Amino acid sequence: MKVREAMIRDVSAIFEDETIEDFIVSCLRQAKTGLPVVDEDFRVVGFISESDIIRGALPSYFSLLQSASFIPDTHQFVLRLERIKDERVSEHMIKPATCVKQDDTVIYAADLLIKHNLKILPVVNDNGQLLGIVNRIFLIHAATQGKIDR
Amino acid sequence: MDVLTITLNPALDREIIVENFTVNSFHRVKNPSYSKMDPGGKGINVSVILSGIGVKSVAMGFLGGNIGKVVEEKLRATSDLITTAFVHLEEETREDIAIVDPLQDTITEINSSGPSVKQDDLRMLIRRLDVTLSRVKHVVISGSIPRGVEKEIYSVICRKVIEAGKLSYAEAIGPAFEIAVDSGLVSVARPDLRSRSILFGQSLVELQDHVDAAKYIVSRGTRLAVLSYAIEGDVIATTDGVWLYKTKSHIERSHLLGTGDAFMAGLVYSMMQDDRDLQLAAKRGMAAAIAEAAFISKELVTIKNIEDNMDQFEIHRLE
Repeated sequence: MKVREAMIRDVSAIFEDETIEDFIVSCLRQAKTGLPVVDEDFRVVGFISESDIIRGALPSYFSLLQSASFIPDTHQFVLRLERIKDERVSEHMIKPATCVKQDDTVIYAADLLIKHNLKILPVVNDNGQLLGIVNRIFLIHAATQGKIDR
Repeated sequence: MDVLTITLNPALDREIIVENFTVNSFHRVKNPSYSKMDPGGKGINVSVILSGIGVKSVAMGFLGGNIGKVVEEKLRATSDLITTAFVHLEEETREDIAIVDPLQDTITEINSSGPSVKQDDLRMLIRRLDVTLSRVKHVVISGSIPRGVEKEIYSVICRKVIEAGKLSYAEAIGPAFEIAVDSGLVSVARPDLRSRSILFGQSLVELQDHVDAAKYIVSRGTRLAVLSYAIEGDVIATTDGVWLYKTKSHIERSHLLGTGDAFMAGLVYSMMQDDRDLQLAAKRGMAAAIAEAAFISKELVTIKNIEDNMDQFEIHRLE
């Protein structure tokens, strides 16, 4: 099975210079957890998810801690979240984004999702322009139906 | 991707079939096929019909809430040839409910008012339009405008299309449509005369009224104007003249559903092959509309249907 048979042909995306608030509102309204980030030529230049926002609002040493119970002050975390809402998407996105092409196999896409611990993969053409996405639940469903190797 | 369709005010079309429907009483829908949900809105309909003739399109516009999600998912499920690129609103997309009673031959309709669009939503749509324009050649903008959107929106969008060197196709009625046509920003104009036949302050009743309106539209810079006249005719105007296309067979009023959108889809399909042959485009549009009229429900016309119906209408030169 190829990615083109499993992809969702939706090109909802966020621009690099749009704000974190734009991203949050878009995700809320579409019940999404992340969006591909595109440039003026609609090329995928990154990916931003809710985890990136949380990471952006935590102190930089947080990744060294084993548990959230070590955060000194949750109130500071909330204040920081309020501040970053006006920052640009480009400041918090992960780049480059892990992408797949339409002719890649679904098993390859599944491999990327697992290895990089992702929920969504943008699907791009040869110029890197966004064509759609593949998501985890669809691949899990395809696997349970025995379709993934075909 | 060749075509972009823009629907600013889409709808979820719900049709429920209830036999012996009466108000103020309890009814049960007999089987699942008696309750249907389809994505609606004129631009969306054009995307759906284009997918039937093998043309890829991007559908753009505003959707909102759970109803918006249903419209989006149903639209994508229609065909792999449709890519969605909607901006999502805070309020719910409108829902048009029709209760059809085949025994009493009645239709009871309940249409909701639709969401309002905020400045930020419009900013996001325009930004996405700017980027998408480089990937398409033909842009169809059709249907009503939602609350909160200025009537200049058709002009704003069509200006961007023309300045990008692409072709703009508009089908609507009212000030937004008229301003865009008057500003010479619409390549192909098809006034939607279903609900009211007043255009540029003139009431269109006689054939000559339609001819005058079509000529006026062309004088403003539109390459091809199409005005439906009576049930079975269309007045076609270009800078080369004015024609009346008239179907050879009788068409029931009840079969008109979707024919306007099929006309537009057939026309766009033809322009993709050759955008200089406006007569051929109008003929293919007419043939697609006649093919669509042969279907009672929302079936999709094929290229063969279009070719088969190319001789199902007469052409009279009027001017």
